[in-house]
Amino acid sequence: MLKIENVSVRYGRAVQALHDVSFDVADGEVVAVLGSNGAGKSTLLRAISATLALHRGTVTSGSVTLDGTRLDTLDPAAIVRRRLMQVPEGRQVFGRMTVEENLRVGGLAAEPKRRAAAKARVHELFPVLADRSAQPAGLLSGGEQQMLAIGRALMCDPVVLLLDEPSLGLAPQLIQRIGRIVTEINAGGTAVVLVEQNASMALQVSHRAVVLEVGRLALAGSSAELAASEDVQRLYLGGHADDAHETDAPARPRRILSAWKG
Amino acid sequence: MSETTRAEATGPTAGATGVDAAETDSAAPDGQGGMPAVHPRRDRRRWLLWGALVVVLFLVPIYLPGQYLIVSTWVMTGAVGAMGLTMLIGQAGQLSLAHSFFLLVGGVSYTVLSSDGTDGFVGLGLPTALSLVLAVAISAAVGAAFAPVSGRLTGIYLGVASLSLVFLGWWLARVLPSIAGSTSSGRYADDLNLFGFDFGEKSPTLAILGVPIGQNERLFWLYAALTLIAYFVARGAVDGRVGRAWRAVRDNEAAATVMGVSVVRQKSVAFAVSSAYAGLAGVMVVWWYDGLLKPDEAVDSGTYSTAVAIAYLAMVVIGGLGSLGGAIVGAAVVFGTPLIIPLLSQGDSSAVLSSGGTAFSPVVITYLAYGALIVLIVLFEPGGLAALGRRLTARLKRS
Repeated sequence: MLKIENVSVRYGRAVQALHDVSFDVADGEVVAVLGSNGAGKSTLLRAISATLALHRGTVTSGSVTLDGTRLDTLDPAAIVRRRLMQVPEGRQVFGRMTVEENLRVGGLAAEPKRRAAAKARVHELFPVLADRSAQPAGLLSGGEQQMLAIGRALMCDPVVLLLDEPSLGLAPQLIQRIGRIVTEINAGGTAVVLVEQNASMALQVSHRAVVLEVGRLALAGSSAELAASEDVQRLYLGGHADDAHETDAPARPRRILSAWKG
Repeated sequence: MSETTRAEATGPTAGATGVDAAETDSAAPDGQGGMPAVHPRRDRRRWLLWGALVVVLFLVPIYLPGQYLIVSTWVMTGAVGAMGLTMLIGQAGQLSLAHSFFLLVGGVSYTVLSSDGTDGFVGLGLPTALSLVLAVAISAAVGAAFAPVSGRLTGIYLGVASLSLVFLGWWLARVLPSIAGSTSSGRYADDLNLFGFDFGEKSPTLAILGVPIGQNERLFWLYAALTLIAYFVARGAVDGRVGRAWRAVRDNEAAATVMGVSVVRQKSVAFAVSSAYAGLAGVMVVWWYDGLLKPDEAVDSGTYSTAVAIAYLAMVVIGGLGSLGGAIVGAAVVFGTPLIIPLLSQGDSSAVLSSGGTAFSPVVITYLAYGALIVLIVLFEPGGLAALGRRLTARLKRS
């Protein structure tokens, strides 16, 4: 469905942010993108949604395709019309607008016949947004703003949702809730590319994961495999699997993953 | 009713005038395009209020003296232009100091399209109603042609870039007298003639309740109709998809982009719409001066000068950025005060012309008043008079 092939990205003339990154996302799949600060996770999402230009970046080689259509040659509005939506890092809700208006902006590019169903789905996922529909978005709590940012993107009834650090700055309880929401969204048939620093949550909710290191794809595999990987545990899980639910599970054989070959 | 001539009420710069605060902005009191809740009874009441307003506007010329009608029509000219500017600045977040340039574009376009090509002037002799529509369309097109600049610049950079258009317009009007008329005598455009009804009729043959319906009365109706149409079109834009896209761009360009809003396109659309409103106001200015189109001798004073561009900016700041009702009230304050003060104090606004240069003339008092208002509003109520009105209404409802 979504195919990223040998994508390289540069900011300005000097900063090479991504080098030949390749992976794909199948229909209805959740793929987590892990990596430390500056690894190129957000850059990858920007390359997919064609919003690099906002940050003075450019795709120097490679391609991004959705169901066979090249996305890297389209403008962001055309990509949204193909129902690929991004939830940017830091929520970026429209603070002066009401919750309701934020959602309506999310539905601007949606087909009219899909809007009512999409809104019902958003209110079902996030009842708090219905309760606070007349409230300015800037007055919502951090968690509620994150829900609004996700709900706003869902107004387009996306086939692919790009989530950029949805747990950033949230309390642990809320992080778990965001994880459950990702699962619920995916259960509705939406494929999700989840960029996260919270590897524990990301690996819980994703089917597969890729790891970026300094702009290069270092590891790739199923989430279960990566969760069991010593490298991932050491680098991203604090040296141990910190999931409560995994403590009771039988120990799995640890495997060293090979690098992704595209 | 006195049949006062328009020149009697002309301000010294012809750039500041007006009164009228009948507008209530009941459709969307937040001025931000919030969707009002659908409520049949409230909806019916709202339509009744609008109907009552139309009846009042129809009756006003029959009972109001001619000079007050002249002041009112000048305010409505400002109101139409200010509604365009408040959409651009308040809704789309784009600063423009080029509003007086687009007034000139509208005025020149209408004059060239509607008048005959006589006395060495360029003229196409088209029907006046068609000329009006085309003049508005041309103004919008010129605004859209500014897209490479308006789509990429923001804030003070766009303000300064747009200001250059005022200088360009001033220079072009001076070097093209066959199109814009000379700075000394100008040129004349035809009055609007709609199905044989001449809105500039000076020797009236029509009378209602014994009141002869002459130029002042006819122009009042015409201007009121145009202002109402301009208001409803703007209301539709602000409350609709276009308005939401503008506000998204204003609040966060990056977030708007990932929502599928084309930022450059929306900025250009906002500039074009605002220019169309200014173009309509420009045609109204020409009619208000008895069809006279006269370029300014100096770029900083006159009908299409930088002073007028700033006056329009003052209107939308005083009224409350983004509020259509506020724009109308702002126009009443900025355009109405210099004409209404002598009317109320001396019964004749022609006194505006005779005030000494160093005296506290109505114009000087107005400049001081709206300068002080801007400072007070920025300091204490950034939402402008519209926000003040909303707060007062809410307090009255509570008590």
